[in-house]
Amino acid sequence: MNECGESADSRIRTKQGALQSRLDRRFSAETAMEELDEIFSEFLIEANEVLDQFDRDMVELEKDPSSRTLLDGIFRGIHTIKGTSGVLGLDKLVSISHVGETLLCRMRDGEMRLTPESTTALLAMSDSLRQVLGAIAASGSEGDGDFSALIRLLTSLLDPQHTSSEPAAPSTDLPAANQSMAAAALTPAQDPPPETAPPASVKTETAREQKDLGGDALGNTIRVDVTLLDKLMNLVGELVLARNQIMQLTSVQTEPALTGAAQRLSHITSELQSSVMKTRMQPIGTIWHKLPRLLRDLARGCGKEVELITEGAETELDRTILEAIKDPLTHVIRNAVDHGIETPEQRSRNGKNPAGQLTLRAYHEGGKVNIEIRDDGAGVNLDAVKRKALERRLIEPGEADRMSERELLSLIFQPGFSTAQQVTNISGRGVGMDVVKTNITKIGGTIDLQSTPGQGTTLTIKIPLTLAIIPALIVTSASNRFAIPQVSLVELVRLEGEAAAHAIEYIHNTPVYRLRGTLLPIVYLDQELGAAARQTKEDGQAITIVVLQTESNVFGLVVDEVNDSEEIVVKPLGNLLRGLSCYAGATIMGDGRVALILDVMGLAQKARVVGEQRTRTTETVVEKTQMDMELESWLLADLGGARRVAIPLDRVHRLEEFPASAMEWSGNQSVIQYRGEIMPMISVAQLLGMARISEPAATMQATVVSRGDRRYALLVDRIVDIVEQQIVVDPSRKTALCAGSAVIEEHVTDVLDVEGIIDASLFHTAELLTAQAGSC
Amino acid sequence: MKALVVDDSNTMRAVLRRILQMRGFETVEAKHGVEALHVLAQTGTADLALVDWNMPEMNGLQFVTEVRKNPTHAQMRIMMVTTETGLHEVQSAIDAGATDYLMKPFTTGQVDDKLALLGLDSHA
Repeated sequence: MNECGESADSRIRTKQGALQSRLDRRFSAETAMEELDEIFSEFLIEANEVLDQFDRDMVELEKDPSSRTLLDGIFRGIHTIKGTSGVLGLDKLVSISHVGETLLCRMRDGEMRLTPESTTALLAMSDSLRQVLGAIAASGSEGDGDFSALIRLLTSLLDPQHTSSEPAAPSTDLPAANQSMAAAALTPAQDPPPETAPPASVKTETAREQKDLGGDALGNTIRVDVTLLDKLMNLVGELVLARNQIMQLTSVQTEPALTGAAQRLSHITSELQSSVMKTRMQPIGTIWHKLPRLLRDLARGCGKEVELITEGAETELDRTILEAIKDPLTHVIRNAVDHGIETPEQRSRNGKNPAGQLTLRAYHEGGKVNIEIRDDGAGVNLDAVKRKALERRLIEPGEADRMSERELLSLIFQPGFSTAQQVTNISGRGVGMDVVKTNITKIGGTIDLQSTPGQGTTLTIKIPLTLAIIPALIVTSASNRFAIPQVSLVELVRLEGEAAAHAIEYIHNTPVYRLRGTLLPIVYLDQELGAAARQTKEDGQAITIVVLQTESNVFGLVVDEVNDSEEIVVKPLGNLLRGLSCYAGATIMGDGRVALILDVMGLAQKARVVGEQRTRTTETVVEKTQMDMELESWLLADLGGARRVAIPLDRVHRLEEFPASAMEWSGNQSVIQYRGEIMPMISVAQLLGMARISEPAATMQATVVSRGDRRYALLVDRIVDIVEQQIVVDPSRKTALCAGSAVIEEHVTDVLDVEGIIDASLFHTAELLTAQAGSC
Repeated sequence: MKALVVDDSNTMRAVLRRILQMRGFETVEAKHGVEALHVLAQTGTADLALVDWNMPEMNGLQFVTEVRKNPTHAQMRIMMVTTETGLHEVQSAIDAGATDYLMKPFTTGQVDDKLALLGLDSHA
């Protein structure tokens, strides 16, 4: 408490030094420091509130220029800021707001009409005022920003005929102010009489009214310093830890009175925790308020029309989280307007309403808050995504064809990706969706993109309600305990006895486990963290796999033991450990010991189960294929659609014809019973990303190839021939699936890489399943 | 002595409250005309009212007009607090019954001058 109070005090004192000198001219000589500071912070809060309202009303006014109520409110807002700034001696604020006020005054008196230019200028004025307010909040002075250009612009708008800046009319009134009452009272009579101002409308502005109530000490609410709330939250965190310790201690003794008291303590702690958390909650509407203004500027900037619809603005979130999603949300909205929504002409051509719709929806679901940003624009152009990803070398040429729509969409979140044809003023500043994703992931959230061509794009952000206390699973590995955030947890798999001995297989030295048909990459936690070398596994020893989900991938983490799930209080790591990507923080366990919190994404990256996997496989394959080039016997097959492939003959085990009815399914893999074993059937055409051209025939032609002791059937449309020939392979067409292309018997032929095909089919199946699991 | 401060800005009310209290006034406050009438009805009349011009619900002019209809407040001196842009409106306020005006931005010296003019300075 003390420490906190002192540092705040000293901050205030420095600020006061600056304010004091400014205020000496005014009334401050006799006013105590605390009171001055109180008045200034009151002013900063009030002025910012007024400006927020000003922005909203300006945007509204543009839609409804005849609204007297809006114009009165807008004028009053700027008038208040100018008047108050004047009294506090904030000259810069006065000079900026003065011109704006004059302009608004003319509009109010019906001498001028609101034009888009004047709206933009007035909004720019509100930005400038905010900038000065920010400077005052930070340093206690108005800063050295130069606003003369803005003032000139506003002045020129006052008199469209004469663009030269004419001194603002009121300045002539100034001397009168210091004269006697009578003289001042006469002044208006001498001036060209502006129409007597009609009485301000008595109609209330609900939003403003509500805010006034909210800020009123007389009502049921009070303003509390955020640092105090943070401190409360911290203390509650400590209390939760102490509670956990007490619960653990009482669980091993039998004194009924103590157990009862401990349980009561536990209940009260939980209740206190949720109440304190509630005090930190703010409706998401507080960050949505600024959007109408943003959208207006954006839409004008790109020559588009956008209508904003918000639902669930009252949905509450912890303020730290609100703070954290503010920028990502803004960026997503920029993207939606810039890339998503089409120009009015385009929209009309496609039979849509010329004005695009942007819907923001927030709602609670499963202990999380979902925020949906939906536009009814053109949707994501997958071809453009593909092109761009190839251009940026984010994927290999062959890879693009194999990728599912979902995978292609996820490319948008890759660093350095942007589909904008040209770098616009609005998005495409080098900050892409990858930053959005990183920021959302950082606060334990997920982001998901869905797009329907021609109909629009929906981006769903799921975020936790709070960051400070999270549910976690505690595991043990190499005698250390670790906490895994529950959000990443999919399921637990325990293998015992016979199953444990053979469950984990290896593909290219990568350990994998077959989980209901999905190939799950396996990471050994102790190895990954460099803990003591793994003892050779004794037969029959159980294996515990924690199945974890990163944004798009699932992997299995092998741990020694699963302990318990617990509410943990996240503590940041010290400076020395902060650089370790495997850890998200630390927590104190019920027994008082420290456990590190695993960063699932960081761990996956370190273990290279994300992103790296595919590349590694490809490399191995390519080396092998180069040796295969020496071979001279080739099996030629048609895939339909004039696409011909060659398979090295020595890899071909047999040629077979199967009736289509013999095909069966195991998980997501089509299989066939063949010589007493289950043989996977791989459709080469499908793997190469070819659209199915011919209807499946009654009989299927297959090339049976083998690897190790397993056999695979490669399905083709028609087996053409076997040739013996030294072929020249064009390596520029090399992909994970093809060694390249060659001309054989006057046909351009893709030389298949059998290893690559088998690997790809395995991963393809695995990924399909993962994708499906993710979308469920 | 008692003063009523009517202004929709929290900051302005705080400033005026401070100045008046330093001069020995007891202060009551309201955010707009309607509230001000309400406050007067509850706490009784005041010696002085400092009234902002531009307020929601009921503006300064309307307030002056309303309050002067009530003979209870006949002795209350009303000082319009306005800016130079509002100066031309002061006449109508004076016609409606306002006693004087104070122009923003003001210094404490100017406030003292005005109070002395109205016979409300602390030495009186």
